[in-house]
Amino acid sequence: MNLSFFDQFSSPSLFGIPLILISLTFPALLLPSPDNRWVTNRLSTLQLWLINLITKQLMTPLNKKGHKWALILTSLMIFLLLVNLLGLLPYTFTPTTQLSMNLALAFPLWLATLLTGLRNQPSTTLGHLLPEGTPTLLIPALIMIETTSLLIRPLALGVRLTANLTAGHLLIQLISTATVALYSTMPAISLLTLLILLLLTILEVAVAMIQAYVFVLLL
Amino acid sequence: MLSRLVLRAAPAALRALPPPVAVGVLHTTRPLHTTQQSLAPVPPLPEKGGEVRHGLIPEEFFQFLYPKTGVTGPYMLGTGLLLYLLSKEIYVINHETVASACILAVIIYGIKKFGADVAAFADKLNEEKVSAAQAMKNEAMQALQTAIEEEKKEQWRVEGHTYLFDAKRNNIAMLLETNYRERLMMVYNEVKKRLDYQVALQTLKRQKEQDHMIQWVEKNVIQSITPQQQKESIAKCILDLKALSKSAHAAV
Repeated sequence: MNLSFFDQFSSPSLFGIPLILISLTFPALLLPSPDNRWVTNRLSTLQLWLINLITKQLMTPLNKKGHKWALILTSLMIFLLLVNLLGLLPYTFTPTTQLSMNLALAFPLWLATLLTGLRNQPSTTLGHLLPEGTPTLLIPALIMIETTSLLIRPLALGVRLTANLTAGHLLIQLISTATVALYSTMPAISLLTLLILLLLTILEVAVAMIQAYVFVLLL
Repeated sequence: MLSRLVLRAAPAALRALPPPVAVGVLHTTRPLHTTQQSLAPVPPLPEKGGEVRHGLIPEEFFQFLYPKTGVTGPYMLGTGLLLYLLSKEIYVINHETVASACILAVIIYGIKKFGADVAAFADKLNEEKVSAAQAMKNEAMQALQTAIEEEKKEQWRVEGHTYLFDAKRNNIAMLLETNYRERLMMVYNEVKKRLDYQVALQTLKRQKEQDHMIQWVEKNVIQSITPQQQKESIAKCILDLKALSKSAHAAV
């Protein structure tokens, strides 16, 4: 099995059947199904506690109407968390390294927030385009800049997620290849191995990816 | 026909499985249930999961191999399998191996270091939930207990009420008696006053009559004293005085 560096990022297919859908459902295997018990086992308790924490974090800045987003935002966050964590295992495919998938996640949600804002309170939404207290001369330029930043947001979200994950995985590949190749000449190895370990623990900042992703989605 | 066989044999087969598997099967086949609770008496789930060794391999595997190969059997099997895969290059060592070794090291380190704490935390969450409910139950029981005691005390108090009422009755009787006596006294005094008045009136009248009579007598006497009688009485008095002075001189 000769792997090139980018084989891990090609969308897996078996006999021409794209397997990406199945790989998207794998995170669900990690979550225990809610039982009808009052006192649950440890995993369910921890899961419940985590979801409570996330939902509270997401929903406290929002008013009552914004709480409608709780389900989708929390489930999005948990999904991305698990998908990224599972991608760290060896020989696994991470769906979020595909730009197509991330843009598919980013675009509709961003558009939804934009349209909701425009429909319910259009003047406030348009008012957000101009930060307070700008000197009069800068107003036209600033409005252009804010509009551009607004319109580019989904692209930024998707590309940010893709780039971070792809870069991380690639780095792991490269450094481990270097380790294997340098195995014959011993001393440099231990240093490189330690580097991988460090990189890996920082890559469990994949969890922070989710934070970044979802927090940006907050209006 | 075959499906009918399956349906008939299902409950017995389900009860024959160990409880976690039975519940799992029940949950997975729930969409296929046509009636409510057809395989209803589900055995209760055990509190802890199955025992595992090295976090991955269930203890039952070791017990299964124990009679034939003893304690080292599964380990020998594992080692042999691993060496076979490596030597025949069924599993090729490449860069992913190193990466997997690293991630496994990180995971195992994380579990070893934080596992007990996380488990204790989860247990604490559960414990809090249960103890909160328990505390409510205890409080309710306590409240009812105190209510019972209060009720008993009230009943004892009510028994004492008869004494209270007797005392009050006595009190009131005494008050009435006192009042009555006071009024008697008042009546007596009033009557006495009236009578005294009458007495005083009579005395006054008698007195006035007496005075009047005396004055009348004196007036008449004084009127009846003629001038001649006056001269005679004065001469008599002078003679008496001389006689008295003589006797007085003689005494001295």
